[in-house]
Amino acid sequence: MAIVGKNGYQKQAMEIYQFISEHLYFNRPDMEIKGVRFNSAILLSLLTGLKKGKELIIGEPGLGKTTSAEYVCSLIYQFPLGVIWGSEVSGHPEQTEEKIIGRPDLGKLNRGEEDVVWTNFSQIPVKIVDEINRLPETKQSMILDGVDRGNWEYLNEMIINDEYCLFATANYQDGGTNTIIAPLVDRFDVMVESRYPGANLSFLIGKDKRKDHVLRHPKYEKDLYHVLKSKIAYEKKISKMEEICNEFGEYLYEVLGVKSFQKPDRDQIRGEMESLKLDLDASALTRMLLAELSFCERYGQKRVVENCEEGCHYTGYLCHQIKNCASNRLPSSITQYAQGLAWLLEDSAIDIEHIQAVVPMTLAHRVQWKDEILSQKERSKRDDPLPIFLAKEAVKAVSQRYREQSEHLKDALAAGSKIFQGGALEPLEGDHPLYVEIIKDIDIRKKE
Amino acid sequence: MKATPQRKKPIFYLSKESGTIKNPFEEFKYFTVPTHDLPLDQIVQSTEAVMDRIRWGYEKLLEEEAKELVWMVQYNTIIKAYEVAEKYVKEVDYAAEDIEDFCFALENTQKIPYLIPGPAGVYISALCNYAKEEEIVLKLSELKTEINLLGFRLPKGKRLMIDGDTGDFTGIGLEGGELAVEGNAKNWTGAGMRGGKILVKKNIGLHTGEWMMGGEIYVGGRVRGLGNIVEGKVYERDKLVYPGKTKYPNLYY
Repeated sequence: MAIVGKNGYQKQAMEIYQFISEHLYFNRPDMEIKGVRFNSAILLSLLTGLKKGKELIIGEPGLGKTTSAEYVCSLIYQFPLGVIWGSEVSGHPEQTEEKIIGRPDLGKLNRGEEDVVWTNFSQIPVKIVDEINRLPETKQSMILDGVDRGNWEYLNEMIINDEYCLFATANYQDGGTNTIIAPLVDRFDVMVESRYPGANLSFLIGKDKRKDHVLRHPKYEKDLYHVLKSKIAYEKKISKMEEICNEFGEYLYEVLGVKSFQKPDRDQIRGEMESLKLDLDASALTRMLLAELSFCERYGQKRVVENCEEGCHYTGYLCHQIKNCASNRLPSSITQYAQGLAWLLEDSAIDIEHIQAVVPMTLAHRVQWKDEILSQKERSKRDDPLPIFLAKEAVKAVSQRYREQSEHLKDALAAGSKIFQGGALEPLEGDHPLYVEIIKDIDIRKKE
Repeated sequence: MKATPQRKKPIFYLSKESGTIKNPFEEFKYFTVPTHDLPLDQIVQSTEAVMDRIRWGYEKLLEEEAKELVWMVQYNTIIKAYEVAEKYVKEVDYAAEDIEDFCFALENTQKIPYLIPGPAGVYISALCNYAKEEEIVLKLSELKTEINLLGFRLPKGKRLMIDGDTGDFTGIGLEGGELAVEGNAKNWTGAGMRGGKILVKKNIGLHTGEWMMGGEIYVGGRVRGLGNIVEGKVYERDKLVYPGKTKYPNLYY
């Protein structure tokens, strides 16, 4: 079992969370994990920042989708708000590659030389795309590779972000929005709603309009812009930016009493998070969920173009309620955010509660529910937007099934392991797609 | 001669197992299903263990007393047997219900070789006297054999209730405890008792209170005969019969 270092980073992260929730982003806690209550928008943004994740924040206009991300990024990466604002990409139909990634250096071009002027967005580790669903579907493809790998290409040049996190905000469907294309949606690790804080907190927010000035610093902003505009190598820019960011971090500590994270701190934290492993229950539950989200007895796997067979034995499972197949990014997102959460709560391993807490957010935007399920549950009494509500319901149902057969399921997986190692055993049978998947894996091994 | 250029070592070596699929269940390699004992199974198991210990003590007592060949009810024989019983009883951690189970096991199980009412009664008395509970109820009405010597040396602060009939020498040498018999008691009840109370709901036999040094005996039915009582009181249907007009022991009155 991994032992998370007692270096106070968790306390520091919780202090950042507290500072944001008490001074910058007022909202109600809407989730509870192991007796600790959190606001999901701040918590998930915090984990996204620390874990180099990608988060999609949805919500009504003016409910703090962008600002919550900005505050978290400013405190975790030590960037003054002015720089973050100047690096954001806003989604609109006229958006171009030149405004998002980079453009030719016109001065040099006049002299017959080809050089790229990279945008602030592509250079800084904090990336915020505001109103991503206002980008036309054809233009969303421009940022696919950058979002996925941190590779930004223009002309024949490329910069690679070693450290970056991405936040994108999206309004609910209105006249000016487009659907986010499936490959882009799948690249987001989590989706969270920035909710209405309630009339009373909303009233307080209205009273204090300039609360974000505490994260501004014109001098450091100017210095950072100067570095970003300079013509030095990208790696050198990064180290120069770090120096300025560290100074801004010290300023924040002096003025606000909040200690932000320097690059070595963030690396150390990520190392600690990576060392946290899933315990057997967490692993078995995740496998069970993935099996239900990908299984089709008739056609081998779920495919968005194929429909369920009438009278299928597996009608009681999630596979019968959804259209698409879970991608390989899903387990990665679940593990990453569960690691982050377990680390923050100072737990020594990822357990079932961490999984249950993060799965709805990793699943909500990825699952395409069948129309009958949507029409059935659309009018259910709920606090969450429909996709998150449906994902939470799905997690509850799978967890219930897991509780009923956890021992047998783990036994089946253990038997699978023994057979894989050459043991003369018979695979265990059970009424769940995962048992079929185990048998499929074993059969492949036997055929070798 | 030109030296052959050394080949660079590859970063990754292909193992013998390369080409085989990774075990996707690796982490469950050491998982074994824990055996969950049902609470009832645990209770039965622990009860049986206690019963074995109690039975073992009784067998030891019988072994030692077998030297006497025939078990004679003599006061020093009883004291000696009680000392042996005490020795074994002290080693067992049991509850009041276990004593009742033992009483039934005496008659109904093949595990106990023989029921000798004398040593059995001494042993049961020792169990009652050393039990943690202050009040002990023994439902013996279903027993075919009437056990002798129940309530021997019952100490002060203890209450022993017997549902059913008892044999001879019930409550002898009582040391301040309270013994209630919800049935009949045979001869020599309360013999040599020093204090405490014996309540017999129905009838009582001969020699009641023989050499009794103190305490009280209450009989709800009839007293067939009193013994030579030194000190103490005997009541028959709320009527004091000793001390009273009866001066002649073992006589019908």
